[in-house]
Amino acid sequence: MAVTSAGVATPVDVHDLDYDRFLEEVHSFEFWFEAVSGYLSGLAWGHRPDLVEPARTAEERDRLVTVLCNYCVGETAALEGASGLVAIAPNRLAKVFLATQVVDEGRHLEVFHHRLRDLGVEDPESEVERRASRSLVLFRRRLLELVAGKDWEAAIFAQNVILESLEFAVFHSHAAGADPITADVLQGVIRDERRHIGFGENELGRRLATAPHIRARLGQTKKELDHLVLDSLEETSRLIGLPRDEQDRLGRLYLGSVERLGFA
Amino acid sequence: MSDFLSAYSIQNWLESCPQGYLDGTEFGHLPGEGEPELLLENDILREDAIATTVQMVVGERCALAASSGLINAAPDEGSRRYLATQTLDEARHVEIFTHRLYDLGVRKDQLEDVIRRYANPNLVRFAEVLLEKVDRKDFVSGVVGQNVVLEGMAFSVFEMMHALSSELNPKFGRTLAGTIADERRHVGFGENRIGSLLKQYPEKKPEIERMQKEMSYWMLATFADSFRHNQTQAEMERLGQERPHSDYQGVDLGVLSPEQMEDVLADTVLKEFKTRLGRIGVEYQTPARP
Repeated sequence: MAVTSAGVATPVDVHDLDYDRFLEEVHSFEFWFEAVSGYLSGLAWGHRPDLVEPARTAEERDRLVTVLCNYCVGETAALEGASGLVAIAPNRLAKVFLATQVVDEGRHLEVFHHRLRDLGVEDPESEVERRASRSLVLFRRRLLELVAGKDWEAAIFAQNVILESLEFAVFHSHAAGADPITADVLQGVIRDERRHIGFGENELGRRLATAPHIRARLGQTKKELDHLVLDSLEETSRLIGLPRDEQDRLGRLYLGSVERLGFA
Repeated sequence: MSDFLSAYSIQNWLESCPQGYLDGTEFGHLPGEGEPELLLENDILREDAIATTVQMVVGERCALAASSGLINAAPDEGSRRYLATQTLDEARHVEIFTHRLYDLGVRKDQLEDVIRRYANPNLVRFAEVLLEKVDRKDFVSGVVGQNVVLEGMAFSVFEMMHALSSELNPKFGRTLAGTIADERRHVGFGENRIGSLLKQYPEKKPEIERMQKEMSYWMLATFADSFRHNQTQAEMERLGQERPHSDYQGVDLGVLSPEQMEDVLADTVLKEFKTRLGRIGVEYQTPARP
């Protein structure tokens, strides 16, 4: 909203604002608040409360539990990464945006844990540990090393471009064929991820334009993380029963999002 | 523990905070509400308001750094998720108090200079003591410093400011009311979670007691500077503006001198520390008076 000289609030397209005001708007608690109010109102633990759990075989349940456990690994990495990034963010607006991302990631972890409990998992924390994919665990470790090393660009690249793009691609594909409760949970998460990817692309796009030497370092980070991403993509795709061509499409979708920043 | 932590879930937070007491607000107040003309037109009152708001921004920036930093040091998932909500609460506080500075006429390009100019060095020392614990990933000391000492102080300061300002400045009063509601939740978490952790790590107590004593000293020094250099009361009297007779801790703030207000606030906060630390099994340490 913008306030006219007569004191009247009028809706504004954020893309019409000048760049500084655009950032002030989209990296604010208020923007987050407006956004999530639209799609989280009336939901309980990320889904409409009246949805019914479908019947499934023991094998189907087991596969879904493994997939959700690995989503928890990814979301834990994202929560730890985003919270660590608040401290090294270069300005107030980036700190406030990352604080909204911290609560988004915390919410994702919570709704996936809750979903595991719905499926009869009594102790989600130990189940997640037991079923965690090795590639995701390694990815998490590397991401936290970048954050601890206070490498802002590489950490934002790993977190808000690579990890978020991976999650976006997988969740999108999974939601299309999932049971109604899981699909609802994933749709809410996807809407958050879109905001996070936008922040990462915007932040890095600006930096790359003014400091092209960063590109080589980010290219190295991508090279290091690509195989972990593609391994975990393949593993999850298999568990959610995606056909081979859909797996390839997901791989291309992920690579496309990093290509937008000029990393082929 | 899991039962206690379920009260601090993100689902509960969403229902009680953004979809509860913040519903319909904009930067913490009702849309269209502004600072009073008197404050905007009088240079002395405006400068005092800016100086006070800067201390709030400094305190909230410290709280944002501490709560986000403690997530990676938390020993369990429930605490991490709770701290995620606290991180966003603190970022919201940074945002709404920064916006108040803009409402008071600070230009965006002046913001950091204004904060540097008015930030009380004693408050900065207070923050440094806490952030040192957070940097060392010392979860137990960090949560006591953040959720008992810092939040306990903020809670009492904001309550006094709310009592002082809600009649003359409903916009600021509403902003403070939302913040106080957040702080109440934060203090509750600190007491509940740390009590059990201190039973597990009793060797941490002496270090925590030293930290409380040091933070309390810097807090009292901040209060002393703020009340003794505040010109609002004298200016209001000069303008013939009657002070509101609001009640705080059983006293009428409308008849107290700044020094008496400082005493009431300091005693209230220290008494609160003593009670809350006692509940988690830490012995309160009396700080030196600056």
